[in-house]
Amino acid sequence: MKSPVPDTRNSLILRLPDKHDVEAWDQFVSIYEPLVYRLARSKGLQDADAREVVQEVLVSVSRAIEQWEFDPERGRFRDWLFRIARNLMIKFMTRRKHRPIGTGDSGIAQMLEQHADPVSEEESERFDLEYRREVFRWAAEQVQEQVKERTWQAFWLSSIEGHQTEDVALKLEMSVGAIHIARSRIRSRLREAIKTLEQDNTENISSHNAR
Amino acid sequence: MTSHLKHTNDTELQILLCGDEDSDEYRRTAAHVETCEACQKRLDTVAGPTQLDAETRELLSDYPWEALSNSRTGFQGTDGLPDQAESLTFLNPPSHPEMLGRLGRYEIERMIGSGGMGLVLKAFDTELNRPVAIKVLAQHLAHSGAARQRFARESRAVAAVVHEHVVAIHNVEADDQNPFLVMQYVAGESLQARVDREGPLDAKEVMRIGIQAASGLAAAHEQGVIHRDVKPANILLEQGVERILLTDFGLARTVDDASLTHTGIIAGTPHYMSPEQANGDTIDQRTDLFSLGSVLYFMATGRPPFRAERAMGVLNRVCHDTHRPVWQVNSDIPDDLSDIIDRLLEKKASRRFASAVEVRESLVRLLARTQQHGTRHRNRVKSFVRQRPFLSSGAIVCLASVIVAGFMFIPSSVERTRFRSIQPTEPVAPDNNISLAQQDQAIAAESAVYSATAQEISARLQQLEATSNAAQFAQPASDGFWQDSASFKVRLDQLERDTFRDSSISSTKEER
Repeated sequence: MKSPVPDTRNSLILRLPDKHDVEAWDQFVSIYEPLVYRLARSKGLQDADAREVVQEVLVSVSRAIEQWEFDPERGRFRDWLFRIARNLMIKFMTRRKHRPIGTGDSGIAQMLEQHADPVSEEESERFDLEYRREVFRWAAEQVQEQVKERTWQAFWLSSIEGHQTEDVALKLEMSVGAIHIARSRIRSRLREAIKTLEQDNTENISSHNAR
Repeated sequence: MTSHLKHTNDTELQILLCGDEDSDEYRRTAAHVETCEACQKRLDTVAGPTQLDAETRELLSDYPWEALSNSRTGFQGTDGLPDQAESLTFLNPPSHPEMLGRLGRYEIERMIGSGGMGLVLKAFDTELNRPVAIKVLAQHLAHSGAARQRFARESRAVAAVVHEHVVAIHNVEADDQNPFLVMQYVAGESLQARVDREGPLDAKEVMRIGIQAASGLAAAHEQGVIHRDVKPANILLEQGVERILLTDFGLARTVDDASLTHTGIIAGTPHYMSPEQANGDTIDQRTDLFSLGSVLYFMATGRPPFRAERAMGVLNRVCHDTHRPVWQVNSDIPDDLSDIIDRLLEKKASRRFASAVEVRESLVRLLARTQQHGTRHRNRVKSFVRQRPFLSSGAIVCLASVIVAGFMFIPSSVERTRFRSIQPTEPVAPDNNISLAQQDQAIAAESAVYSATAQEISARLQQLEATSNAAQFAQPASDGFWQDSASFKVRLDQLERDTFRDSSISSTKEER
């Protein structure tokens, strides 16, 4: 008897033979899950339906991975992954206003190639803003795990919540100087974390060539 | 006030930014910088532009953290399972203080286990006064219409398999929130636990368990059910009785499919997966034979045939590497058994046994032969040759000359003796087989009495499928943009096709 459902999940694993690619996928998921969910909720969808949307988007993207092949022209897997997902979301958010997709014409292809599509500008800006928010949220979670709780608090209370350094120092029983160190320390780490998600083709092409 | 200390250098500043907060050098440097404004300024500059703080504040100060956990759909394996307290919220309060809670007519005693698909609970059926095991679909999957449907479909298929070596499904409850499956409770331990505790099993035990597992699989395959997750943890050894039962038929893998955990992290172990499964190819019942081969290997040697540090590594080895034959790992295992395992572990399904029935018959024959004539161990010679090739080649030359010399004098008698010793003996029906079969029949009859009728289960499942359909297509409040999920899916599918057909074009053009 034939089973109609091949185990796609496992095929994904085999298609990502590089450890860094698996990490990239996990990062991708942890950023896209809340991103798509929030965008869907902001469009009026209820919790369960928004989750369904998240699943659909991630499944679509994961299927696309079957088409992923390393090619120096394309850059690294991470960039490619984030790019197709962005295209998918923006086009989806934009398209619905005009005509149902399903004609199979080359319209989508053209739109995907265009950077500044007048129709999608608003949605793409919105997408990029929300995307960046998730990147920062993700980076903050990473950094928070790497530092002491008090260091994180010092940063959060002063830099994000905007409390006076002296007040924070008093509350956390730290010196004002220590608060300054904490803020610098976190900023530097956030920057590093965000950098790992930003496109940097030159560096990664060499690492990919090595495999 | 800082005069007694010199200012920090760049390396020390880096320690403050990236180093370990508990290290001596960190503390030493921090002690100075805390009180030195000049060094604080330098540190601030090295840490990066202060605009980053402003942007972080802008983006994160009103971030909806509470929505974060809602968005998680299980794609990422690292999120872990919900803790017990949270995961048991669907239970009604217990009617007895020693119990965890109630689920319909079942009193929940304790949690036996949890996995990617849900929880397994030990419970007591208050109507039929018997212990049962209950498998509840995980909360995050219960929301998914697809997962519920799959759960129901598979449960129905498995419920149809009634066999002494398959854990019986008593009932399926289409509870409004959490669908669950009521199964025979097996007191005992899993094969995994047994081998972990006692190490490799002896050859006869391997064969005996292999025979039972193969016959359980044969019964399932006859019903069109593929297990898909045959592994030592899914083979239960009943306490006090020499009987094994297969559990988790088809469910685990199927629900994994439905949960869409297309992630780099595998729920559970990949060690027993077949190459075709690992590759995502179409599978048939022979996938179970490969996994059975891996289980036999595990029993015989105490470890699975393919090992690597990471799941991905294991899967790559499953697909591309040749396992080390059992006889090389454990010389107590007879060659014939080692050969049967080799054949089960063939990468190409077509080169394995054709069916579980065939595997069972081969093992029965081998067990009978072993009990009558003992085992054959060519392997001792083989491993000797492998380990000491130089010495062996010398031995072979010597032996050859002796044989040549022998031929000169008494040729015919040597020939005959050699062949007779290698010829396999005719299979003999094992005498303990009858009592085992009788015992099995008795157990099967007993479990049939307990089982709810197939129609009853079937009706419940249809009801379950109906409710999940309704849930899946419920209309959300929408602004016409997202419309309903059905048409959303159609469009997304189309979009996906278009996107990925053209992704090569678009990605090249977008390259910076």
